[in-house]
Amino acid sequence: MTNINGKTYAMTAITPMKSWKTPILRVFFFLLGRIKPLQAKLVNLSFIHFARWVVVKRRGFPRVSDAQPEENLHYDYLLFFSNFNGTWNQYIDAFADVLADGLDLVWRWSEKFPRSRPVSAFKRYIALVQFDTDYYYTAYPRATTNDVKAAHRVCAALEDLGKSGRDMSPADFNRAYLQFVIRVQKDLGATGVGPIGT
Amino acid sequence: MANQNGSIYGLTILSPIIDDPKADISHDCAIREYLACLPRDSRSPFAVLSSTHLARLVVMDDVIFVGTPAKEEHLQSKYLVFESNLDGDLDTYLTRMATETRDMVDAVWGHCYGYPGTQNVQAFIAYMKKCQIDTTFFFADVNNQTVRSTLRALKVQASVAEFIGSHQGKLPEQLLAGFRAFYGNVENMAEPVPGHPQEPGTHESIPLQKTMAARHG
Repeated sequence: MTNINGKTYAMTAITPMKSWKTPILRVFFFLLGRIKPLQAKLVNLSFIHFARWVVVKRRGFPRVSDAQPEENLHYDYLLFFSNFNGTWNQYIDAFADVLADGLDLVWRWSEKFPRSRPVSAFKRYIALVQFDTDYYYTAYPRATTNDVKAAHRVCAALEDLGKSGRDMSPADFNRAYLQFVIRVQKDLGATGVGPIGT
Repeated sequence: MANQNGSIYGLTILSPIIDDPKADISHDCAIREYLACLPRDSRSPFAVLSSTHLARLVVMDDVIFVGTPAKEEHLQSKYLVFESNLDGDLDTYLTRMATETRDMVDAVWGHCYGYPGTQNVQAFIAYMKKCQIDTTFFFADVNNQTVRSTLRALKVQASVAEFIGSHQGKLPEQLLAGFRAFYGNVENMAEPVPGHPQEPGTHESIPLQKTMAARHG
């Protein structure tokens, strides 16, 4: 399935918004970008590599040639792209469980958005507005975002030990190595092929 | 700027696809056919564009009608949506696209209105920027690491796990000597390749027979 590459799923969704609502959404995103604690739940979920929301104004679709017919749209559109680990159902369930208020603040400006709880109506809505991906590439298909963060922690710890251990006696190194193992042991999970899911 | 989060740039491009009723195979189908057969592993053109973390291409046929009382409306063109999460600056990335992945770029964007080709790199960059839509909000879980450093870290992590497993119960002298050799190897480690090599026996799409497809509409 093209929406999935390794352990990562590509979600693409588009929803219509009345153009007078767009500035309100932009203010919300402005605040979300500036006030980092508002992103805490998103960060703590820790299964999204990258995500973005893109507002396309009704007259903002690119026109690059006279041969291209001009768009005549009533609505602005909100595009949502997410690159997450896990299955579609797990993602929507987790989103609705943990980020219900945040999701409602983002999508309540979109037409017919049912709110993120109860989740069954939310899932129906997302399934309706989602596009399948035609091509999906990831540089590290076997790693989740947690794997990436863990690998960088291991790397930093190894570098510390490599530098500090240069001039140590075997006995001192033995103690430092034990501390190193304690420090990295939770970050040594193996990466590999992901489970099959939809 | 919302296109940037830390050192990661979020590129979103919408390119209008040519509508030609006289074509044997419509341009959106031709793009889809090409993309279906494009490798997604270490042979991908985006692996050549080695600053790409994740990228997708989507043919957007139309906007979605979500039901009454919303107003039903339609796009006049289909759009090719390109979403990429990359290291570094946009101009360098687009220049590399035009010079290092020319075949793929021409094969895909050649079906879009106003596409100038890749021979004139500056014209290509100008075209892509004209099709670019600024990101309103961009989230990056890890926003201070490059593709290269992440691939290296993943390789180091696997090596460390192996080292720890194979050095349990060693005497301090043996441990120190082993670690010094290991650390030297890590410092001189070969650069990992972006995208994972394809597993033997993995599914691969078969190119569509164009004449047959045209006959059957």
